[in-house]
Amino acid sequence: MDVRAHVSMVFHLDKCIGCHTCSVACKNVWTDSPGAEYMWWNNVETKPGTGYPTRWEDQMNYKGGWELNKNRELVLRSQSKGGALAKLFYNPRQPGLDDYYEPWTYRYQDLFDAPSGDDQPTAVPISQITGEPMDIEAGPNWDDDLSGSPIYAENDPNLDRLTEDERQMLFDVESIAMMYLPRICNHCANPSCVASCPSGALYKRGEDGIVLVNQEKCRGWRACVVACPYKKMYYNWQTGKSEKCILCYPRVETGQPPACFHSCVGRIRYMGVLLYDAERMVDAMKAPEASLVEAQRNVLLDPHDREVAAAAEANGISPKFIAAAQQSPVYKYVKEWQLALPLHPEFRTLPMLYYVPPLLPVMGRAGDGIYEHEAEEFFTHLDKSRLPMKFLASLFSAGNLDVVKAVMKKQMAVRYYKRAQDVDDVDAAKVQRVLREAHLTPEQAEAIYALTALAPMTERYVMPPIQREEALDGFDMPSCSPEMCKGKCGLGMTQAPQRGA
Amino acid sequence: MLNVFLFAGLPYIALVTLVGGTIYRYRSNRFSYSALSSQFLEKKTLLWGSVPWHLGVFILLIGHLIPIFLPGLWRSLMVNQAFLLLVESAGIAAAILCLFGLSVALVRRLTVAKVQAVTSPMDLVVLGLLLFQVLLGLGVAMAHRWGAVWSTQTTTPYLWSLLLLQPNLDLVANLPPMVRLHLVSAFVLVLLVPFSRLVHMFSVPLAYLWRAPQIVIWNNPRRFREVPVVRQFVESRRYFLRGAFGLTAGGTLLTAGVMDKAVSFFRGPAMSPEEQAALLRKRLQRLEMTAEERELELERLRNNYIFVANLKELQPQAGKYFIDYQMRPALAFRTEDGLPLLISAKCTHLGCTVASAVDANKQLLCPCHMSYFDLHSGAPSPGSPALAPLPRLGWALMDAQGKLLLKEGPHGRREGEFNVAQLEECGVFICKEYEENA
Repeated sequence: MDVRAHVSMVFHLDKCIGCHTCSVACKNVWTDSPGAEYMWWNNVETKPGTGYPTRWEDQMNYKGGWELNKNRELVLRSQSKGGALAKLFYNPRQPGLDDYYEPWTYRYQDLFDAPSGDDQPTAVPISQITGEPMDIEAGPNWDDDLSGSPIYAENDPNLDRLTEDERQMLFDVESIAMMYLPRICNHCANPSCVASCPSGALYKRGEDGIVLVNQEKCRGWRACVVACPYKKMYYNWQTGKSEKCILCYPRVETGQPPACFHSCVGRIRYMGVLLYDAERMVDAMKAPEASLVEAQRNVLLDPHDREVAAAAEANGISPKFIAAAQQSPVYKYVKEWQLALPLHPEFRTLPMLYYVPPLLPVMGRAGDGIYEHEAEEFFTHLDKSRLPMKFLASLFSAGNLDVVKAVMKKQMAVRYYKRAQDVDDVDAAKVQRVLREAHLTPEQAEAIYALTALAPMTERYVMPPIQREEALDGFDMPSCSPEMCKGKCGLGMTQAPQRGA
Repeated sequence: MLNVFLFAGLPYIALVTLVGGTIYRYRSNRFSYSALSSQFLEKKTLLWGSVPWHLGVFILLIGHLIPIFLPGLWRSLMVNQAFLLLVESAGIAAAILCLFGLSVALVRRLTVAKVQAVTSPMDLVVLGLLLFQVLLGLGVAMAHRWGAVWSTQTTTPYLWSLLLLQPNLDLVANLPPMVRLHLVSAFVLVLLVPFSRLVHMFSVPLAYLWRAPQIVIWNNPRRFREVPVVRQFVESRRYFLRGAFGLTAGGTLLTAGVMDKAVSFFRGPAMSPEEQAALLRKRLQRLEMTAEERELELERLRNNYIFVANLKELQPQAGKYFIDYQMRPALAFRTEDGLPLLISAKCTHLGCTVASAVDANKQLLCPCHMSYFDLHSGAPSPGSPALAPLPRLGWALMDAQGKLLLKEGPHGRREGEFNVAQLEECGVFICKEYEENA
């Protein structure tokens, strides 16, 4: 047993209102410099929709992630080792600016300088790359709330698994449904970006699993942009380096939640520590598609297990970290209650961020203006849901319907359980039956309810603010000067980033 | 003066700047090392600029570096007419590929607005200079054919004279102006490397070919302090692999070297053709002698009588050597009574062959240690190192028809009759029966 710790996040999608506050918080902190304008380390997508960059889930085109070859070996879809060298000069699968959007601002000075006339002066949009006036044709969330749109929603790659009838149903004006999907870097346990980097600039931090780019080692070969199946590697066209979400490690190290987490209006995010067994990892990566979610759950270890805790301590994980793992809200959602699922596990990168699929667009029906909650059609209802189970399964369980249905049943059961308590219009016996069928005890239902609906920041963010200070203590040096820390931790920069000649 | 600056000063300035500049830039501003790709901003044209250029310049660099650094190998290859033709045409094709790529890149840099946003003046200088340089190279290849050959006598020694700090400008003094310009332009390009995006050529990520797929960096000191076992295991495996590889490689080289020495030691110094011929001839002689010996043995094994000589050829003073049934030397004489006398010629002291001549005392001499033997009795004279007498051998006389006339055993017992008239026609034989009895 090789126990390692990993910082992880859960997104409770039922609570996401699609306000993009997280995206804006992230942009203001990290990606507002020249060359990074188009980067959205955190973005929120409307599903069904094409996402950002357009159709990023279509790996037939982008060739991201891993696949099993004939010998059942895990290989990068984007490149072989030798092929990586051949693709340095031109990478046919690299998304271009058109797949994202041309960043723009407005010439506000026009508002002041315009000569007096009959019309209101306007600020014309100008490109942030060329500085020239431009027509805005796309943006980072261009298909926001456009469910049912034939240009955007219909091109969602996840709809490929649906039959024609199911698609029709989904786009029926009367029953159009959608959900929001906030996305950041998944800090995968088997990151394809790291494996693809020719310069070896990308790395995973051993202590917490955060994936970072050493900006001084990066040579801008762009293989990572292609290899990341989530398209969360971004090429900075100004500095000639690749950048990515850093999980706000400078904040996390000092006990502050990441910017996206902290600003979340719907409080949908949970952050904590997971313990996993690195030895079991290889098998989990090679599991058949239908059992990928199960395999990934099996890699996670119970932090309350004494053996696990001992092995973790023996492996250099601090007691504080283990204590945090025992309190981890992420562990509860992912392993204990099995409510949270990885996004697109079929990319086989073992994404370490998890999503609780949304219940509302599944359960809600617009019949007489109120939500459907008849216990009689309780579970049969799932098959008639407005957002097809197949669609959710395509997103969160590599197409395995049973996994998604089990999650939905649990969420519904908790809802009925609480409704019976608060409104008292559901028969108690029925509630018992529902809980049993969802494999939940009343205590669990209560705990799920409490963590989902009531949890304050201290319960949603359970992280020890320690690693950085420890790292400094351990070395024989008064402080971690950039010169000494170079290549060890963080982005590896020793001076202000400036484009080379 | 200008000549000295261009062909002795400039190359040194360029080389020092290249080495010092790239190292200084790497140490002081590592962040600025990047390929600075603009594929993100413009993709379609880049394909037709970047790929042909890099492919072409890779071929050209190889074609320029091999004759400079391995001139011997290059010259031996260029002897082949077909190969020379192949190299020249490959060079011209690569240059055309480069020209195409560079032209596309230049047009792209000058016309595409988004690419202009990331184009620095140095980019254009480098691009223009490269275009100029490739044009010059192509011009040289066209106007002054077979550069692959003549360069080995001119530019290669010149560049080596630069490297060996003894610049020899005579080597390039009489070259055509186009070639000289090509050289100067190359020096300027080298000079510009540390100041331009050209530094990215030192970043070719060959290490990717053999590195592990995932990179994990541990920063937690506790992991190193408290978990020596885990760390040791991981490290030891890594070191074991590295060490095993190193030892295998080193061991192979060492073994090869030692084996080479050992083999040459045991085989001795290499022989000249004359020596080899002499040795072989000697071996042939020995083989012939061995074959002869075998034939004699066989003859003695099969025949009851072996011919020694005709009786009339034998003399009383000088014996005739022959080989007896034991394959030992023996001597045949004719005594005064006209009958043969056969005696062993193998000295009873240490086995030398005794001399065939009989001295005044009717004695035989062994030249090795001066033993004298009486011819008739075979007894050694007093004072001789040999103590035992030389044994007498039995013989038989047969006439020309093969009829046995007379024979005498080793101890002088005679059988048969004879008359003197017949003796002259007789042959002397040795007999197997006496050997077996003896």
